[in-house]
Amino acid sequence: MSRGLVRGPIATALAVALATGLAACGSGGGNGSADKTLTFWMYQDRTPQAGQVIEKVRKDFEKANPGVTVKLVKIPKDDYNTKLGSAVASKSAPDAGILDQPLVSKYALDGTIKEAPAGLIDEAGFYKGALDTNRANGKLYGLPQDQTTVALFYNKKLVPTPPKTWDELKQTAARVHAADAKVAGMNVPKGDGYGAWILPGVVHGAGGQMVDDAGKKVLFDQPPAVEALQLWVDLVKSSPRQITDSDKPFENGLAAMTISGPWDVPTIHEQFPDLDFGVAPLPYKTEPAGNIGGEDSVVFSSSKNADLAWKWLAFLANETNNGAVADAFGGFPVNLKAQVVAGGPEQAAFLEQLKVAHARPAVPQWIQVNDEIIAPAIESALTGKVTAQQALTEAAGKTRSLLGWNG
Amino acid sequence: MAAPALAEAQVATRSRRRPSARRRDRLIGWLLVTPALAYFLIFLLYPALSALYYSFTDWNLRSDAAWVGLANYADLLFDDVKFPHFWKSVGVTLQYTLIAVPLTLVSALAQALLLNAIRRGANLFRLLLFLPVVTAEAAVGAIWRWLYDPQYGLINAVLGLFGIPGQNWLNTPELVIPALAFIAAWQCGISMIIYLAGLKGIPGAITEAAVIDGAGPWQRFWRVTFPMLRPTTFYLLVTGVIAALQVFGLVYVIFSGNGRSVTGGPEQSGLTYVLHLYLFAFRYDAMGAACAMSFILLVFIMIVTALQFRFVKQEAA
Amino acid sequence: MRKAPFYVALVLLAAVSVVPFLWMLATSVKHGQDIYSKVPNLLPLDKKTGEWAATLDNYDYVLDVGGLGNAFVNSVWVCAILVPAKLLVDALAAYAFARIPFPGRDKLFVIMLGGMMVPAITLLVPRIHVTQALGMFDSGWGLIVPNIASVLDIFLLRQFFLSIPAELEEAALIDGAGRMQIFWRIVLPLSKPVLAVVTITSFLFHWNDLVWPLVVTNDPELYTLPLALQQLVASPDGGRAYYIMAGATLAVLPVIAVLIVFQRRILQGIAFTGLKA
Repeated sequence: MSRGLVRGPIATALAVALATGLAACGSGGGNGSADKTLTFWMYQDRTPQAGQVIEKVRKDFEKANPGVTVKLVKIPKDDYNTKLGSAVASKSAPDAGILDQPLVSKYALDGTIKEAPAGLIDEAGFYKGALDTNRANGKLYGLPQDQTTVALFYNKKLVPTPPKTWDELKQTAARVHAADAKVAGMNVPKGDGYGAWILPGVVHGAGGQMVDDAGKKVLFDQPPAVEALQLWVDLVKSSPRQITDSDKPFENGLAAMTISGPWDVPTIHEQFPDLDFGVAPLPYKTEPAGNIGGEDSVVFSSSKNADLAWKWLAFLANETNNGAVADAFGGFPVNLKAQVVAGGPEQAAFLEQLKVAHARPAVPQWIQVNDEIIAPAIESALTGKVTAQQALTEAAGKTRSLLGWNG
Repeated sequence: MAAPALAEAQVATRSRRRPSARRRDRLIGWLLVTPALAYFLIFLLYPALSALYYSFTDWNLRSDAAWVGLANYADLLFDDVKFPHFWKSVGVTLQYTLIAVPLTLVSALAQALLLNAIRRGANLFRLLLFLPVVTAEAAVGAIWRWLYDPQYGLINAVLGLFGIPGQNWLNTPELVIPALAFIAAWQCGISMIIYLAGLKGIPGAITEAAVIDGAGPWQRFWRVTFPMLRPTTFYLLVTGVIAALQVFGLVYVIFSGNGRSVTGGPEQSGLTYVLHLYLFAFRYDAMGAACAMSFILLVFIMIVTALQFRFVKQEAA
Repeated sequence: MRKAPFYVALVLLAAVSVVPFLWMLATSVKHGQDIYSKVPNLLPLDKKTGEWAATLDNYDYVLDVGGLGNAFVNSVWVCAILVPAKLLVDALAAYAFARIPFPGRDKLFVIMLGGMMVPAITLLVPRIHVTQALGMFDSGWGLIVPNIASVLDIFLLRQFFLSIPAELEEAALIDGAGRMQIFWRIVLPLSKPVLAVVTITSFLFHWNDLVWPLVVTNDPELYTLPLALQQLVASPDGGRAYYIMAGATLAVLPVIAVLIVFQRRILQGIAFTGLKA
């Protein structure tokens, strides 16, 4: 009844009259439900090209499964979990969707998502690290679709050879800023959710961890983490926030280095064609290391087409498609046999980085710890209100209390 | 417009209406309020009661809500481990209210006084001054993020003309709230129009009498105009405070973007009460606690409003 | 010129009001990197050569790829149905509360006023439940029906209706007119100012509302303008100011147009309500 409201013929006519080339009518009425419709939620396309890739895979799947329509719903990452929460709460969850890695175990534990059927995929054919982000209590609850990591972007004009170690990084940043006070050495991560997400990779670079492997002990008040945060504190001296807090400082040549992921490479090339930049693995102190991220996909318990939904997820992750799909999602394939979409010279650095990347702590409340405890700690150290050690000691204490850990 | 015949009829005696007419009134009365009442029951009262229920539960939106009694309320107020930034968000919101509301009122009143003092072009100026208030929060947030940009922003460029060094507005904890309050004052159009109406309502005779008494413009404002505007100011103050305590959309847009999580600005300096509530509801999986937060806010709003009313009563006495 | 200082002050204030919009407009027609000019300028000039370089490509992008065209149509539809319907529901109730004696009337009114104080964000999730139970989640109706009345508007309308001399109606009653006739023929025509206020404020609210459409729609085909705009702001490439500003311009222009055309009625209407309450 309701769809008619905004999709009626008048609406369509109006749309056409208002602007050219509007996709107001979607794929026509399609109200008849004789055929199966599968709803899949995902993040907003990173680029129009990425949208076309997914569209092609969708059509292939429909061709291979006559009578099936896959409906893609694309939602900005910032709003995704809000919408998903509302939809689950009102029993209108999609059949399947992308799910943030740290949410998989939560959703699995309260029965919101289904366990993957046995024999769905050959588990040996996947990258173990990426696959493991879909496990809860040892069982598999989803399929990874891509894996990604962050690395060091550097402006070749300002930084001819990328720094390999922390010391080199500090020297490079200082040299750039000394040469031109209007240019920051590096776009140092801030004390927000994103900065707190980057930090673990840096901590690993000093041989440390945020929490122990068993997920029982807080370790980020130990020397490696403190040294990692101290590195950022030192870097800020040659990287004034007044410069780096502006819009896209690295792209505009105002910051000589920044930390970002493969998804940024095509957008920078498109938007800032004049910028001559390279990508190198993250500088480290004792051992090369980085973060692993990426998208997992799950089937919701409320789905009436669960079998079909799993088939679709496996289709996205199979040997033929996963290369392109992962690339569209802004990362790299999780299927060992999938072909990595050939990228520019930047790609090597990410692939190398991925080999030494570590997963985020698998703690259900990690998002809250990340946002509410670690982010403010980073900020107060960066602004010089407390030392790195003080900030992290306090944050670790709070985390222990919140999680009820005594270690 | 209403026919003169009606005026004539007024003279007729006011007979009490017959019982049949009263019965019909009863029916029509209920009939007319039915749609609004249905809305009230379904979309206001029921949700409010159900939110009240959830405020006594532990609920993550997905599994069944588990009754925890007053635990959410107690934890919010006293447990700074579970809710490390609850009181911070209260402080941020109060600070915002204390800066934004007076700033908005002063700016609205000043604009209204100026508009009231001129004739030619008054309509044009009124229109221009009203523009900001009609703009969507999403657009306002986007526009001001640019205006406040430390490198390319217009604000710093203008300050630079006067030799004032540029600031990093939205990333300096001390500046975040003033920067947000300024946006609120920029959008003072509705208050301005209401003040303007208040000014037009002041009888010319009173002002003239003051002129004859030899009062200068400054005295006239403080002795005549401002006291006459008391009811208007009070109304704007009460509604302004209620709105400011619930500020959300603007901060959400200002601090979102880049696919990064909205954590409320540097050192939580922009973490307003409702943004904090929102994060617990939809990001940290604690809808029960979020509902409790909203009832704490409700009680707080009621107290503040009651205090304001009492204050005015005392003043009047 | 005794009034010159007033005009100087007004010009300054008006500049503060308007310049952000001019900047928005300028940014929306700039080419990619031209927005990053060290000296902020209000004209679309090439960053390097300083020559005039305006483009409408940004509009093409946001209307098509950005989905703003579709969202625009949705917003128009929602407002076209919701605003008049809501006005009718509110005015009928307000009239009953103001004029028609029926048992329990005043108690009911006070209870409804109390409901006004509950912070909207509290009601969000239970409202989603109700909307879902009514089968309106993720549909056009879900954008409209849950907003079909407003207690504040009922309050404002009732206050205004109370200020209309009761004698007018009583005379009509004696002449044999029914309540509804009086409502249509006498009360509404006399209430144009307050009706204008309620109409414009509710239009502005729903045209600009972000939160409710965000949680009640999943289908991008149903997105309203603010939602589509938020998509541009929160886009994964960090948000591109020229797209965002083009989108913002599209969202703001119709409102400005409405304002210019009806400015007398709207602004004086707000003044008329005068909030004598």
